[in-house]
Amino acid sequence: MNNTIVSYLLDFEIVRNMFDFVSTKFGLNASGILTFFIFFIAAFIVVNVMAVIGGLGTYAERKISADMQMRIGPNRVGPFGILQFLADGVKMIMKEDIVPAKADRALFFVAPTLCLMGVFASLAVIPFSKGLTLTHLNVGVVYLLGVSSLVGIGIFLGGYSSNSKWSMLGGMRGASQIISYEIPVTLSMLAVVVLAGGLSFDKLVDAQTGWPTGWFIFHNPFTFIGFFVFFVGVLAETNRAPFDLPEAESELVSGYHTEFTGMRFAFFALAEYVEVFVVCGAASALFLGGYKVPMDLGGESILGQILQMGSFLTKTFLLYYVVIWIRWTLPRLRVDQLMVVCWKYLTPIALFNLVGCALWVYFLNGKSFYELVMNMAVTSIHSGGGH
Amino acid sequence: MFVKFLFLISTLLTLAGAIGVVAVKNIMHACVFLLASLIGVAGLYVTLGADFVSAVQLVVYVGGVVILMIFAVMLTGGDKADFFNKFGFEKVSAMGNKKTYLVGSAVLIVFTLSVGKIIFNIIDLKSSKDPQSYVSTVEQLGHLLLTDHVLAFEASSVVLLGALIGAAIIARPNRGVK
Repeated sequence: MNNTIVSYLLDFEIVRNMFDFVSTKFGLNASGILTFFIFFIAAFIVVNVMAVIGGLGTYAERKISADMQMRIGPNRVGPFGILQFLADGVKMIMKEDIVPAKADRALFFVAPTLCLMGVFASLAVIPFSKGLTLTHLNVGVVYLLGVSSLVGIGIFLGGYSSNSKWSMLGGMRGASQIISYEIPVTLSMLAVVVLAGGLSFDKLVDAQTGWPTGWFIFHNPFTFIGFFVFFVGVLAETNRAPFDLPEAESELVSGYHTEFTGMRFAFFALAEYVEVFVVCGAASALFLGGYKVPMDLGGESILGQILQMGSFLTKTFLLYYVVIWIRWTLPRLRVDQLMVVCWKYLTPIALFNLVGCALWVYFLNGKSFYELVMNMAVTSIHSGGGH
Repeated sequence: MFVKFLFLISTLLTLAGAIGVVAVKNIMHACVFLLASLIGVAGLYVTLGADFVSAVQLVVYVGGVVILMIFAVMLTGGDKADFFNKFGFEKVSAMGNKKTYLVGSAVLIVFTLSVGKIIFNIIDLKSSKDPQSYVSTVEQLGHLLLTDHVLAFEASSVVLLGALIGAAIIARPNRGVK
């Protein structure tokens, strides 16, 4: 059995009592239905909070870009314009829902839903804290890669079904970009998996420590490079600048979602912003220590879980800021440059990193660079004592 | 009960998707139905306790194969006149020729041997001893792939390499023609 939010909650007396109470009240074993109920509520909360974070992501994007361009940005709705995304949502719902006359209607309806489904399915393994993760699947990393590839299909079908040349080009670019960049991303994930010796997120995070010295990014030179390969790769996979070719507004109007209006367009936008959160969360869990708190403050208690969540969210939002920052700083790549970056640079580097990490684990017993330096310092102090 | 529900949903998804693939005329819709069917199969693997296989099913089939199929649909088709030469024969014959038969039979032999090795082992395993008990199937798969079934592992990697080189050769622009 995997560690899930239910198995965490069952450690508490109250929850176990509740299970017993319901079982005796109805005279049957209620653990199955209660497990389902708890999962349902937890998933409901996570999805809704993530939808709000995705909405706030659009606000953050506009506000940060405004800062970088010496503008003010949205400031009318709510304090500092922070409710702008709600106003946008209401506007999206009220808009007329236009389907192009020659569009493939069935796929036109399916495409945005597929995008959103893929992103929300990947939330199941995002480790917010040790207890409050929906499930620590023991193949969590592979699962994350698998369900997030649904987004690529959604983007491609969105481009195809709207029966417009701009959309088609954007969809083709999106799909080819996503399946190409999956390779360096997967390889650099595997380098970390080799170090931790497991595919589940709790195993990967627990192999790190709260202090930066124990993070995988500073574990050895290969993972240090691997983090940047991973980050560039996920930027391309989420179609963010400088890899936003699928929606390149200067050449393709708006790419794959040119023909989408109203809520369907909002689904695409929401999927993009939540996916950025998901990949930033994965990056912080894999390379930056995830939910680990220095000195394990709080321990296993509720306070500990809150601190862990704070640690995870701080790292994730810092990466989120970097993603937005990059978008408003770098110009867009050309298509041929995009493929050259992936196949001629990132993939060989990621392969080299994977082999390097494997050799490091084999020859140095998986000790981190910091540990080796400290060992050397200690031995040199001891041996140098005679001078 | 949980698992039974999952089994029911996965089975329905698999069957409905499979029926949809053969029932619809639009090839793009068939691809989307195939996607549903493949996700259903991943769910079936979960109910069997094969967690790693189901995750790989998602990565390879949902993420890779379906997108490649859609790409193939986009890049082929079109003008039918291109497929035939001036005598009215197909340029690339669907039934193959001597060379392809030779290569095909060689590949068939290698595959029969390697698959047979796996299947005989499984039959043997059931009769003689209990399968080793692992918490997760990942370690088990890794051990078996690099020890007992290393021939199948290597054969499949050679096939994939061949496919990669073949694709590069087909896609390469003709050097002789200017």
